[in-house]
This record gives sequence, structure tokens and C-alpha cells, in this order.
Amino acid sequence: MAALIRSLRAVRSLRGLGSVVATTCPASLYGGLRRGFHRAALLASDSKSDQTVPPPSHHEHYQHEDPWPNTSYQDQSGEQAEDYETEDQLQARILTAALEFVPQHGWTVEAIAAGAETLGLSAASAGMFDNGAGDLVLHFVGQCNVQLTEILAEEHNQVQLGQAEKKKTADFLRHAVETRLRMLVPYIDTWPQAMSLLLLPHNIPESLKHLSTLVDDIWYYAGDRSTDMSWYTRRAALTGIYNTTELVMVQDSSPDFEETWVFLDNRIRDVVNMANTAKQVQATGEAVVQGLMGAAVTLKNITGVNQRR
Amino acid sequence: VTACSPCVVNSSMLCRKYTVLPPPRDKEEKAMLDSMLRVDHAGEYGANCIYAGQMAVLGRTQSGPLIQNMWDQEKIHLQKFNEILGENRVRPTVMLPLWNIAGFLLGASTALLGKEGAMACTVAVEESISEHYNSQIRALMEEDPDRYTELLQLIKEFRDDEMEHHDTGLEHDAESVPGYMILKTLIQAGCKAAIYISQRI
Repeated sequence: MAALIRSLRAVRSLRGLGSVVATTCPASLYGGLRRGFHRAALLASDSKSDQTVPPPSHHEHYQHEDPWPNTSYQDQSGEQAEDYETEDQLQARILTAALEFVPQHGWTVEAIAAGAETLGLSAASAGMFDNGAGDLVLHFVGQCNVQLTEILAEEHNQVQLGQAEKKKTADFLRHAVETRLRMLVPYIDTWPQAMSLLLLPHNIPESLKHLSTLVDDIWYYAGDRSTDMSWYTRRAALTGIYNTTELVMVQDSSPDFEETWVFLDNRIRDVVNMANTAKQVQATGEAVVQGLMGAAVTLKNITGVNQRR
Repeated sequence: VTACSPCVVNSSMLCRKYTVLPPPRDKEEKAMLDSMLRVDHAGEYGANCIYAGQMAVLGRTQSGPLIQNMWDQEKIHLQKFNEILGENRVRPTVMLPLWNIAGFLLGASTALLGKEGAMACTVAVEESISEHYNSQIRALMEEDPDRYTELLQLIKEFRDDEMEHHDTGLEHDAESVPGYMILKTLIQAGCKAAIYISQRI
């Protein structure tokens, strides 16, 4: 009983360290095991802090407070107290905290362990991540994409409200890709390691999913509502632009990555030129076909084939 | 809600410009709706191409105006689905160019069999499409009829249009084409395959 009360107080003290968003968590078979691991991690850190013996009155006081947070194995209904943190949220917090150690340790499990320690958890909680450093990189990429989407949505709102000018497509794409790539600047020295992690076979499906949602979001906010093959060609083009610019950026040593932005500018201009050329070719082709049809009809008229009887 | 001035019948789903779908509550629902809309869009696109093929051959004959009329209705359907796909960020099927060519060839080749051939093709295709819309309506009704009222109304309206085309085809001697049953079976098999593929890719 006393151990449970201590763990409750540890949970509450952890709450003070970061914002916990309450969501409902669907119970899973392994959820119980992992929650137990979570509690073990908490209790390990708890033994170092919070040495005060809870006063006897705490027990009665406690009973009128929040209901038990569901750290027990028995709860399978999925209902959670408001301040319970799911395992995913905890993992997200650890990985976010681990990012500040990346310049020092690189994209490795050591960075995750260091991050866990800043949250008051034991370094062994880095073992929660089966994929190790891959999880850290994927979390970072996901976080950057979410940030970019928020920025683009906000700018979209500004345009809707009339507070900002609508950008032309090329400028919008350039702005979006530059914003997204600038998020890599604090980690640019270790980014090649991150890229190689993303290319590992077991990480490829998820990194491709992140890339495709990124490109889809950028085009959506750029105003693309196409429903034919250009949906695919546009996204393929932007994927190419993004990946090549990222590669240029990791080996760019100019001040504030000027060469990278010039490269980006040139690539976008190439794509726009190609699109314009394609339109021109199509228009010319149609004109030529019409000319030929006209010539054929004229010929038929001349030779008298077209006469109606 | 913006009013649609050229449209006389206000109760038609085609006039309204607000969103037909409810905001998705989770990934599974979004995937299911995406797949449904993708295949519907592909279906209307294919139907458009079939009528274009038929018009290319029979456009200047007596059945030209009839086919043109049906084609115009399909164009409206396609436009509506284009809007829905754009609003809801649904990916169109990657097979669109293939359906373009295949539909045009199907329409043109059946029209070469004469007016009855074109009508037989229309009957077969519209029957497939109506059956497909009916199964979608059943699925949505089983799922949650209140949540999808507008989508259901839209699909019902389109299904009724397709049944009308089917009946028109039958009226205009579709069954008198030689090899009607074989033609119909083949075309319907092709439609089923196209639906299966478009739902997934």
C-alpha cells in the first residue's frame, strides 16, 4: 500500500516536469506488462528522491482525491484518469528530451538514455525502444513534419483572413522546403548518421511514410487539388527536390547554407519550366492534330468522298 | 453554403458546395472512405471515357444525341467526385491512364458493332456500377447511417442516374446485339476487376 502511494506521488511529481496530454488509451494485452515496466522505472528513480514518510492524514486526504491512476494489471477497460500518461506519450517525452543530447552523443541509444535521465527516469528505460536510435530519428522527423504542417496551416489561415498575400506556387514550395530543412540546422553535423539510419531496411517503410505525408501536406497547402496523374507527378517531383536539397545541405559549408537555398531555387525553377514545357507541347500537339484533321477533311471534300447521297 | 444559381433543383446533391463527408475520426475510417471515393472516382472517369469512345464512332448517327445526353450526366458525376477528392485529400488511383485508354477502346469497339452494341455495353457497365454503388450503400448503412447521410444521399442519387442509363440502354435494343450474353459477361468481369484494383491501388 505504501509503495503504491509512493508511486502515485512519483507520478504526480513527474507531471510537474512536463505537460501531460490526457488521451484515452486502448488497453492492450502487453499494456499491462509495459505499465509495470514504467512503474519499475519510476520506482527506481523514486527511491533516490522523495524520502519523506507520508503522514497518516495523507491516507484519508488521498481517498478524496483523484481516483487510482490505472497502473495496475487488472484494468482492461481502457478508462484512464485525467492525468494518466500513455506509454506512447512517455516515449515521445523521452525522445524529445533525448534530442538535446544528439550533438553530443549522436543519434544513438546513449542520447536516449541521457534524455531519460533528465526526466528523472533511469537510463535503463532506453531499453523500452526496440528500434533504438531509429526510433529517435523517426520521432524527430515526425515532429518536424508536424511543426511544418502547423506553420503552413497558420499561414494558410492568414491568407484566408486576408492578412497575407497568397504566394505563387514556386515561391510557396521554396518557402516550405526551406522552412523544413532549416529545422535540421541544429543537428546538421550528425544528420548524415540520421539519414543512414532512415535508410536501414526495417526503417524504410516508416521513413517513406513520413516523407510522403510531408510532400502531400506541402502540396495541399500549396493549393494542389488535382485528381489525375499530375497528383503523382507533382509529389514525385517535390520528393526529388526535397531529397536532393537535403543531400546538398549536409555537405554545404557556406554561411547560413546559402548555396543550398540557391540549389533549391534552381531545382524548383527546373520543375516549373518542365511543367510549362509539357503544357506547351500538349497545346502544340493538339493544334497539329487539328490541322491534320482539317487537311484530311479538305482532301475528302476535294476527292468527293464526303458527298451525301 | 454557397447557393448554386444555374441549378433549378435545389434538393440535388450536385448543387451544394459544402463538404459531403464527416471529418474522419480515425485512420481506419479515413482509409475506408478514401478507398470508396477512389474507386467511385475511377468508375466515373472510366464511364466518361467509354461514352467518349462511343461518341467518337456513333457521334454523327441518330443515336448520337442519346449517347451525348448520358455522357453529359456522367461528366457532372465526375466533376462532383473531383471536388470531393480534392477537398478531402483523397489520392486518385494510379491506374487512371490505363482506365482512360481501356474505356475509350471498349466504348469505340462496342460502338463499331452498331447502336445495339453500344447500348449493350452501356447496359453491362451501368449494371456493374449500380451494383457497386448498392454494395457501398449497404456498407455505409451497416456502418453508421446517421454519420454518412450526405454521402449516402449522393451515392443513391448517382446510382439512380446509372440505373436510368441502364434502362435507356435496354429500351434501345441492347439485347438484340449478337452474342449479347457473352459480351455482357465479359464487360462485367472487366468492370469487377477494375473495381477491385482501383480500391487498392
